[in-house]
Amino acid sequence: MSSIYDRIGGEPAVDAAVDVFYRKVLSDDRISQFFDAVDMDRQRAKQKAFLTFAFGGPNQYTGQDLRVAHAKMKLTDAHFDAVMENLGATLTELGVPAALIAEAAAVAESVRPAVLNR
Amino acid sequence: MLQFEGRRYERAADETVLECLLRHGVAVASFCRSGACQTCVLKATAGTVPKSAQLGLKPSQQQQGYFLSCVCRPEAALSVERCDAAATYEARVLRVESLSAEVLRVWLSRPAGLEFRAGQFVQLERPGDGLMRPYSLASLPSEDELELHVARLPNGRMSGWLANAVGQPLLARGPFGECSYTMGEPDRPLILAGTGTGLSPLLGVLREAAENEHLGPISLFHGSRQLTGLYLRAELATLAARLPTLSLIGSVLSLTAEEQQQPGPWQLETGELDQLVISRYPKPVEHRLFLCGNPALVQRLRKRAYLAGASLSRIHCDAFAAPHAS
Repeated sequence: MSSIYDRIGGEPAVDAAVDVFYRKVLSDDRISQFFDAVDMDRQRAKQKAFLTFAFGGPNQYTGQDLRVAHAKMKLTDAHFDAVMENLGATLTELGVPAALIAEAAAVAESVRPAVLNR
Repeated sequence: MLQFEGRRYERAADETVLECLLRHGVAVASFCRSGACQTCVLKATAGTVPKSAQLGLKPSQQQQGYFLSCVCRPEAALSVERCDAAATYEARVLRVESLSAEVLRVWLSRPAGLEFRAGQFVQLERPGDGLMRPYSLASLPSEDELELHVARLPNGRMSGWLANAVGQPLLARGPFGECSYTMGEPDRPLILAGTGTGLSPLLGVLREAAENEHLGPISLFHGSRQLTGLYLRAELATLAARLPTLSLIGSVLSLTAEEQQQPGPWQLETGELDQLVISRYPKPVEHRLFLCGNPALVQRLRKRAYLAGASLSRIHCDAFAAPHAS
Protein backbone atom coordinates (compact mmCIF):
# COMPACT_ATOMS: atom_id res chain seq x y z
CA MET A 1 0.00 0.00 0.00
CA SER A 2 1.27 3.47 -0.80
CA SER A 3 2.23 5.86 1.99
CA ILE A 4 0.03 8.64 3.39
CA TYR A 5 2.58 10.95 1.83
CA ASP A 6 1.68 9.72 -1.65
CA ARG A 7 -2.02 9.45 -0.96
CA ILE A 8 -2.41 13.05 0.21
CA GLY A 9 -0.46 14.39 -2.75
CA GLY A 10 3.26 14.24 -1.95
CA GLU A 11 5.54 17.22 -1.44
CA PRO A 12 3.09 20.01 -2.42
CA ALA A 13 0.47 18.70 0.01
CA VAL A 14 3.00 18.48 2.83
CA ASP A 15 4.17 21.99 2.01
CA ALA A 16 0.62 23.26 2.51
CA ALA A 17 0.11 21.17 5.64
CA VAL A 18 3.27 22.44 7.30
CA ASP A 19 1.96 26.02 7.42
CA VAL A 20 -1.30 24.92 9.01
CA PHE A 21 0.64 22.83 11.53
CA TYR A 22 3.36 25.37 12.32
CA ARG A 23 0.82 28.18 12.82
CA LYS A 24 -1.04 25.99 15.31
CA VAL A 25 2.17 25.17 17.16
CA LEU A 26 3.23 28.84 17.33
CA SER A 27 -0.20 29.81 18.65
CA ASP A 28 -0.27 27.09 21.30
CA ASP A 29 0.66 28.62 24.66
CA ARG A 30 1.65 25.22 26.04
CA ILE A 31 4.61 24.96 23.65
CA SER A 32 5.06 28.25 21.80
CA GLN A 33 7.82 29.38 24.18
CA PHE A 34 10.15 26.73 22.75
CA PHE A 35 9.92 28.42 19.37
CA ASP A 36 10.46 32.05 20.34
CA ALA A 37 14.20 32.21 19.91
CA VAL A 38 14.58 29.99 16.86
CA ASP A 39 14.92 30.94 13.24
CA MET A 40 11.46 30.51 11.75
CA ASP A 41 12.66 29.57 8.27
CA ARG A 42 14.79 26.74 9.63
CA GLN A 43 12.10 25.70 12.03
CA ARG A 44 9.49 25.52 9.27
CA ALA A 45 11.87 23.35 7.25
CA LYS A 46 12.33 21.04 10.25
CA GLN A 47 8.57 20.82 10.74
CA LYS A 48 8.27 19.84 7.11
CA ALA A 49 10.84 17.11 7.57
CA PHE A 50 8.88 15.89 10.60
CA LEU A 51 5.57 15.80 8.71
CA THR A 52 7.24 14.06 5.77
CA PHE A 53 8.45 11.45 8.24
CA ALA A 54 5.05 11.09 9.94
CA PHE A 55 3.41 10.62 6.54
CA GLY A 56 5.88 7.94 5.47
CA GLY A 57 7.49 10.12 2.80
CA PRO A 58 11.15 10.08 1.79
CA ASN A 59 13.26 10.83 4.86
CA GLN A 60 16.25 9.73 6.86
CA TYR A 61 14.91 10.66 10.27
CA THR A 62 16.77 8.79 12.98
CA GLY A 63 16.06 8.66 16.66
CA GLN A 64 19.59 9.84 17.35
CA ASP A 65 19.11 13.15 15.49
CA LEU A 66 15.89 13.84 17.36
CA ARG A 67 17.42 12.92 20.68
CA VAL A 68 20.32 15.32 20.25
CA ALA A 69 18.11 18.12 18.91
CA HIS A 70 15.72 18.00 21.87
CA ALA A 71 18.09 16.90 24.64
CA LYS A 72 18.43 20.23 26.45
CA MET A 73 14.82 21.38 26.24
CA LYS A 74 13.46 19.63 29.36
CA LEU A 75 10.37 18.45 27.54
CA THR A 76 7.59 16.46 29.17
CA ASP A 77 4.79 14.20 27.95
CA ALA A 78 2.43 17.18 28.11
CA HIS A 79 4.57 19.02 25.54
CA PHE A 80 4.69 16.00 23.27
CA ASP A 81 0.93 15.51 23.64
CA ALA A 82 0.37 19.12 22.59
CA VAL A 83 2.33 18.56 19.38
CA MET A 84 0.37 15.35 18.69
CA GLU A 85 -2.88 17.24 19.21
CA ASN A 86 -1.82 19.95 16.75
CA LEU A 87 -0.84 17.29 14.23
CA GLY A 88 -4.25 15.65 14.51
CA ALA A 89 -6.07 18.97 14.27
CA THR A 90 -4.04 19.90 11.18
CA LEU A 91 -4.92 16.71 9.37
CA THR A 92 -8.58 16.97 10.37
CA GLU A 93 -8.66 20.53 9.04
CA LEU A 94 -7.17 19.36 5.75
CA GLY A 95 -9.88 16.71 5.41
CA VAL A 96 -7.64 13.67 5.83
CA PRO A 97 -9.72 10.56 6.72
CA ALA A 98 -9.58 9.40 10.33
CA ALA A 99 -7.89 6.11 9.49
CA LEU A 100 -4.99 7.90 7.83
CA ILE A 101 -4.71 10.34 10.71
CA ALA A 102 -4.38 7.42 13.10
CA GLU A 103 -1.66 5.95 10.91
CA ALA A 104 0.33 9.23 10.90
CA ALA A 105 -0.18 9.61 14.64
CA ALA A 106 1.24 6.14 15.25
CA VAL A 107 4.39 7.01 13.29
CA ALA A 108 4.80 10.32 15.12
CA GLU A 109 4.18 8.59 18.45
CA SER A 110 7.11 6.26 17.76
CA VAL A 111 9.62 9.08 18.30
CA ARG A 112 8.27 10.06 21.74
CA PRO A 113 11.12 8.28 23.64
CA ALA A 114 13.79 9.98 21.50
CA VAL A 115 12.27 13.45 21.81
CA LEU A 116 11.77 13.09 25.58
CA ASN A 117 15.27 11.62 25.92
CA ARG A 118 14.27 8.29 27.50
CA MET B 1 33.88 16.68 -10.80
CA LEU B 2 33.01 18.64 -7.70
CA GLN B 3 34.99 21.61 -6.43
CA PHE B 4 34.55 22.61 -2.79
CA GLU B 5 36.36 25.61 -1.38
CA GLY B 6 39.13 25.28 -3.92
CA ARG B 7 39.66 21.50 -3.70
CA ARG B 8 38.50 19.03 -6.33
CA TYR B 9 36.68 15.81 -5.57
CA GLU B 10 35.68 12.90 -7.84
CA ARG B 11 31.93 12.45 -7.68
CA ALA B 12 30.57 8.95 -8.33
CA ALA B 13 27.67 8.55 -10.75
CA ASP B 14 24.34 9.15 -8.97
CA GLU B 15 26.04 10.44 -5.84
CA THR B 16 24.61 13.61 -4.28
CA VAL B 17 26.88 16.56 -3.52
CA LEU B 18 26.44 15.85 0.19
CA GLU B 19 27.28 12.15 -0.16
CA CYS B 20 30.35 12.98 -2.20
CA LEU B 21 31.67 15.51 0.32
CA LEU B 22 30.99 13.24 3.31
CA ARG B 23 32.71 10.32 1.56
CA HIS B 24 35.80 12.49 1.18
CA GLY B 25 35.74 13.50 4.82
CA VAL B 26 34.40 17.04 4.37
CA ALA B 27 32.13 17.90 7.32
CA VAL B 28 28.76 19.21 6.15
CA ALA B 29 25.86 19.26 8.63
CA SER B 30 22.71 17.46 7.50
CA PHE B 31 19.54 16.12 9.04
CA CYS B 32 16.64 14.80 6.95
CA ARG B 33 18.67 14.05 3.82
CA SER B 34 15.54 14.31 1.72
CA GLY B 35 15.52 17.96 0.68
CA ALA B 36 13.15 19.22 3.35
CA CYS B 37 14.96 20.51 6.42
CA GLN B 38 17.54 22.80 4.71
CA THR B 39 20.30 21.94 7.17
CA CYS B 40 22.72 21.02 4.37
CA VAL B 41 22.36 24.14 2.24
CA LEU B 42 25.45 25.09 0.23
CA LYS B 43 26.11 27.77 -2.36
CA ALA B 44 27.11 27.12 -5.99
CA THR B 45 29.69 29.53 -7.37
CA ALA B 46 30.10 27.99 -10.85
CA GLY B 47 28.15 25.41 -12.82
CA THR B 48 24.44 24.61 -12.92
CA VAL B 49 22.36 23.32 -10.04
CA PRO B 50 19.26 21.26 -10.98
CA LYS B 51 16.05 23.17 -10.18
CA SER B 52 14.88 20.23 -8.09
CA ALA B 53 17.72 20.90 -5.63
CA GLN B 54 16.42 24.42 -4.92
CA LEU B 55 12.79 23.56 -4.09
CA GLY B 56 11.58 25.33 -0.98
CA LEU B 57 14.34 27.94 -0.89
CA LYS B 58 13.49 31.61 -1.21
CA PRO B 59 13.92 33.26 -4.62
CA SER B 60 16.57 35.52 -3.11
CA GLN B 61 18.50 32.43 -2.00
CA GLN B 62 18.00 30.65 -5.33
CA GLN B 63 19.36 33.68 -7.17
CA GLN B 64 22.48 33.50 -5.01
CA GLY B 65 23.03 29.86 -5.97
CA TYR B 66 21.88 28.29 -2.70
CA PHE B 67 20.88 24.64 -3.03
CA LEU B 68 20.12 21.54 -0.95
CA SER B 69 23.25 19.39 -1.20
CA CYS B 70 21.46 16.20 -0.03
CA VAL B 71 19.27 16.03 -3.15
CA CYS B 72 21.62 17.67 -5.65
CA ARG B 73 22.96 15.47 -8.45
CA PRO B 74 24.53 17.94 -10.89
CA GLU B 75 24.83 16.94 -14.53
CA ALA B 76 28.20 18.59 -15.04
CA ALA B 77 31.08 20.05 -13.06
CA LEU B 78 30.03 22.20 -10.11
CA SER B 79 31.92 24.52 -7.76
CA VAL B 80 30.39 25.00 -4.33
CA GLU B 81 31.15 26.60 -1.00
CA ARG B 82 29.56 27.04 2.40
CA CYS B 83 26.91 29.75 2.60
CA ASP B 84 28.87 31.81 5.08
CA ALA B 85 31.95 31.74 2.87
CA ALA B 86 32.73 35.20 1.58
CA ALA B 87 35.65 37.07 0.14
CA THR B 88 37.39 40.02 1.78
CA TYR B 89 37.82 43.25 -0.15
CA GLU B 90 39.77 46.44 0.39
CA ALA B 91 37.75 49.63 0.47
CA ARG B 92 38.24 53.25 1.50
CA VAL B 93 36.01 55.71 3.32
CA LEU B 94 35.06 58.39 0.79
CA ARG B 95 32.61 60.66 2.64
CA VAL B 96 30.70 60.82 5.90
CA GLU B 97 27.48 62.75 6.47
CA SER B 98 25.38 63.19 9.58
CA LEU B 99 21.78 62.12 8.91
CA SER B 100 20.54 62.69 12.46
CA ALA B 101 21.92 62.85 15.96
CA GLU B 102 21.98 59.06 15.94
CA VAL B 103 22.87 58.11 12.38
CA LEU B 104 25.83 58.63 10.06
CA ARG B 105 25.78 57.99 6.36
CA VAL B 106 29.09 56.56 5.17
CA TRP B 107 30.17 56.12 1.56
CA LEU B 108 32.89 53.64 0.71
CA SER B 109 34.72 53.02 -2.53
CA ARG B 110 33.25 50.02 -4.34
CA PRO B 111 35.85 47.26 -4.33
CA ALA B 112 36.43 45.59 -7.71
CA GLY B 113 34.83 42.15 -7.77
CA LEU B 114 32.34 42.72 -4.94
CA GLU B 115 28.99 41.54 -6.32
CA PHE B 116 25.98 42.08 -4.09
CA ARG B 117 22.25 42.78 -3.99
CA ALA B 118 20.99 45.98 -2.42
CA GLY B 119 19.87 45.22 1.15
CA GLN B 120 22.56 42.62 1.81
CA PHE B 121 25.19 43.38 4.43
CA VAL B 122 28.96 43.40 4.75
CA GLN B 123 31.27 43.03 7.73
CA LEU B 124 33.56 46.04 7.98
CA GLU B 125 36.92 45.47 9.59
CA ARG B 126 39.04 48.28 10.96
CA PRO B 127 42.69 47.85 9.99
CA GLY B 128 45.13 47.46 12.83
CA ASP B 129 43.01 45.93 15.57
CA GLY B 130 40.56 43.87 13.50
CA LEU B 131 37.43 45.37 15.09
CA MET B 132 34.43 44.16 13.03
CA ARG B 133 30.82 45.36 12.66
CA PRO B 134 28.10 44.39 10.17
CA TYR B 135 26.43 47.10 8.09
CA SER B 136 23.67 46.79 5.52
CA LEU B 137 24.01 48.25 2.04
CA ALA B 138 21.60 50.99 0.99
CA SER B 139 23.21 51.53 -2.41
CA LEU B 140 22.51 49.75 -5.67
CA PRO B 141 24.82 47.25 -7.36
CA SER B 142 24.76 49.56 -10.40
CA GLU B 143 26.39 52.38 -8.42
CA ASP B 144 30.11 53.09 -8.09
CA GLU B 145 30.04 53.65 -4.33
CA LEU B 146 28.75 51.74 -1.32
CA GLU B 147 26.36 53.55 1.01
CA LEU B 148 25.66 52.42 4.55
CA HIS B 149 23.97 53.91 7.60
CA VAL B 150 25.83 53.72 10.87
CA ALA B 151 24.13 54.02 14.26
CA ARG B 152 26.32 56.30 16.39
CA LEU B 153 26.38 55.53 20.07
CA PRO B 154 28.34 57.24 22.82
CA ASN B 155 31.60 55.28 23.06
CA GLY B 156 30.67 53.22 19.99
CA ARG B 157 34.09 52.06 18.85
CA MET B 158 33.42 51.50 15.15
CA SER B 159 30.92 54.34 14.71
CA GLY B 160 33.19 56.75 16.57
CA TRP B 161 36.09 55.80 14.36
CA LEU B 162 34.07 55.94 11.11
CA ALA B 163 32.86 59.46 11.92
CA ASN B 164 36.40 60.74 11.38
CA ALA B 165 37.73 58.14 8.98
CA VAL B 166 37.46 59.91 5.61
CA GLY B 167 40.34 58.71 3.44
CA GLN B 168 41.05 55.69 5.66
CA PRO B 169 41.30 52.16 4.23
CA LEU B 170 39.28 49.30 5.69
CA LEU B 171 38.29 45.73 4.85
CA ALA B 172 34.81 44.65 3.76
CA ARG B 173 33.83 40.98 3.99
CA GLY B 174 30.69 39.68 2.35
CA PRO B 175 28.11 40.01 1.05
CA PHE B 176 25.76 38.24 3.46
CA GLY B 177 22.01 37.98 3.95
CA GLU B 178 18.99 37.57 1.74
CA CYS B 179 17.06 40.75 2.48
CA SER B 180 16.93 41.88 -1.14
CA TYR B 181 14.40 42.76 -3.83
CA THR B 182 12.96 39.83 -5.78
CA MET B 183 13.00 40.17 -9.57
CA GLY B 184 10.19 38.95 -11.78
CA GLU B 185 7.12 39.84 -9.73
CA PRO B 186 6.52 43.53 -10.53
CA ASP B 187 2.90 43.55 -9.32
CA ARG B 188 3.41 42.12 -5.86
CA PRO B 189 2.56 44.43 -2.94
CA LEU B 190 5.61 45.07 -0.74
CA ILE B 191 5.76 45.92 2.96
CA LEU B 192 9.06 47.36 4.17
CA ALA B 193 9.29 47.86 7.92
CA GLY B 194 12.23 48.73 10.11
CA THR B 195 13.54 50.63 13.09
CA GLY B 196 16.57 52.92 13.32
CA THR B 197 19.29 52.11 10.79
CA GLY B 198 17.08 49.25 9.60
CA LEU B 199 16.18 51.90 7.06
CA SER B 200 19.51 51.24 5.33
CA PRO B 201 18.67 47.80 3.83
CA LEU B 202 15.06 48.90 3.29
CA LEU B 203 16.29 51.84 1.26
CA GLY B 204 18.38 49.42 -0.79
CA VAL B 205 15.30 47.27 -1.47
CA LEU B 206 13.23 50.35 -2.26
CA ARG B 207 15.81 51.77 -4.67
CA GLU B 208 16.09 48.43 -6.42
CA ALA B 209 12.29 48.24 -6.70
CA ALA B 210 12.26 51.73 -8.20
CA GLU B 211 15.08 50.91 -10.61
CA ASN B 212 13.14 47.84 -11.77
CA GLU B 213 9.94 49.88 -12.20
CA HIS B 214 8.01 47.92 -9.62
CA LEU B 215 4.27 48.37 -10.21
CA GLY B 216 2.70 46.98 -7.02
CA PRO B 217 2.04 49.20 -4.00
CA ILE B 218 4.97 49.66 -1.60
CA SER B 219 4.53 50.68 2.03
CA LEU B 220 7.62 51.77 3.91
CA PHE B 221 7.22 51.86 7.70
CA HIS B 222 10.04 53.47 9.65
CA GLY B 223 9.93 53.31 13.43
CA SER B 224 11.77 55.33 16.04
CA ARG B 225 11.19 56.42 19.61
CA GLN B 226 10.97 60.06 18.53
CA LEU B 227 10.30 61.99 15.37
CA THR B 228 13.93 63.17 15.27
CA GLY B 229 14.92 59.53 14.71
CA LEU B 230 13.11 59.38 11.35
CA TYR B 231 15.89 60.44 9.03
CA LEU B 232 16.42 60.96 5.29
CA ARG B 233 13.25 63.06 4.86
CA ALA B 234 14.27 64.92 1.71
CA GLU B 235 15.43 61.84 -0.17
CA LEU B 236 12.38 59.83 0.76
CA ALA B 237 10.14 62.70 -0.35
CA THR B 238 11.94 62.68 -3.71
CA LEU B 239 11.53 58.90 -4.03
CA ALA B 240 7.83 59.17 -3.15
CA ALA B 241 7.35 61.83 -5.82
CA ARG B 242 8.97 59.52 -8.38
CA LEU B 243 7.07 56.42 -7.21
CA PRO B 244 3.33 57.15 -6.88
CA THR B 245 2.81 53.65 -5.50
CA LEU B 246 4.98 54.39 -2.45
CA SER B 247 3.44 55.17 0.97
CA LEU B 248 5.69 56.38 3.78
CA ILE B 249 4.48 55.70 7.29
CA GLY B 250 6.43 57.00 10.27
CA SER B 251 5.88 55.27 13.60
CA VAL B 252 6.98 56.96 16.82
CA LEU B 253 6.13 56.34 20.45
CA SER B 254 4.85 59.88 21.06
CA LEU B 255 4.33 63.13 19.17
CA THR B 256 4.08 66.71 20.40
CA ALA B 257 1.26 68.90 19.07
CA GLU B 258 3.84 70.87 17.11
CA GLU B 259 5.33 67.74 15.56
CA GLN B 260 1.91 66.62 14.41
CA GLN B 261 1.72 69.76 12.27
CA GLN B 262 4.98 69.09 10.47
CA PRO B 263 4.61 68.54 6.73
CA GLY B 264 5.43 65.04 5.26
CA PRO B 265 6.88 62.99 3.82
CA TRP B 266 5.72 60.57 6.52
CA GLN B 267 2.15 59.82 7.51
CA LEU B 268 2.81 59.87 11.24
CA GLU B 269 1.38 57.36 13.69
CA THR B 270 2.07 56.70 17.35
CA GLY B 271 2.49 53.25 18.84
CA GLU B 272 4.48 50.08 18.34
CA LEU B 273 5.63 49.36 14.81
CA ASP B 274 4.46 45.73 14.70
CA GLN B 275 0.99 46.71 15.88
CA LEU B 276 0.81 49.43 13.25
CA VAL B 277 1.87 47.16 10.38
CA ILE B 278 -0.58 44.40 11.33
CA SER B 279 -3.47 46.81 11.86
CA ARG B 280 -2.90 48.24 8.37
CA TYR B 281 -2.33 44.82 6.82
CA PRO B 282 -4.35 42.29 8.82
CA LYS B 283 -4.13 39.66 6.02
CA PRO B 284 -0.76 40.05 4.26
CA VAL B 285 -1.29 36.81 2.33
CA GLU B 286 0.03 38.04 -1.04
CA HIS B 287 2.61 40.50 0.25
CA ARG B 288 6.37 40.28 0.34
CA LEU B 289 7.73 41.66 3.61
CA PHE B 290 11.14 43.05 4.49
CA LEU B 291 11.72 43.47 8.24
CA CYS B 292 14.88 45.14 9.48
CA GLY B 293 16.42 46.55 12.63
CA ASN B 294 15.70 45.77 16.28
CA PRO B 295 15.85 41.95 16.66
CA ALA B 296 12.95 41.66 19.13
CA LEU B 297 10.74 43.75 16.86
CA VAL B 298 11.77 41.81 13.75
CA GLN B 299 11.06 38.47 15.42
CA ARG B 300 7.71 39.66 16.78
CA LEU B 301 6.60 41.12 13.47
CA ARG B 302 7.71 38.08 11.50
CA LYS B 303 5.67 35.83 13.78
CA ARG B 304 2.60 38.06 13.67
CA ALA B 305 2.76 38.40 9.89
CA TYR B 306 3.12 34.63 9.49
CA LEU B 307 0.21 33.90 11.82
CA ALA B 308 -1.83 36.48 9.89
CA GLY B 309 -1.30 34.46 6.71
CA ALA B 310 1.96 35.72 5.19
CA SER B 311 4.16 33.05 3.62
CA LEU B 312 7.53 32.60 5.34
CA SER B 313 9.10 32.30 1.90
CA ARG B 314 8.07 35.92 1.36
CA ILE B 315 9.32 37.31 4.67
CA HIS B 316 12.89 38.61 4.55
CA CYS B 317 14.61 39.66 7.74
CA ASP B 318 17.73 41.58 8.64
CA ALA B 319 17.80 41.83 12.42
CA PHE B 320 20.53 43.78 14.10
CA ALA B 321 21.05 45.40 17.44
CA ALA B 322 22.79 48.71 17.83
CA PRO B 323 26.47 48.03 18.49
CA HIS B 324 27.23 47.69 22.17
CA ALA B 325 29.27 50.47 23.63
CA SER B 326 32.35 48.82 25.03
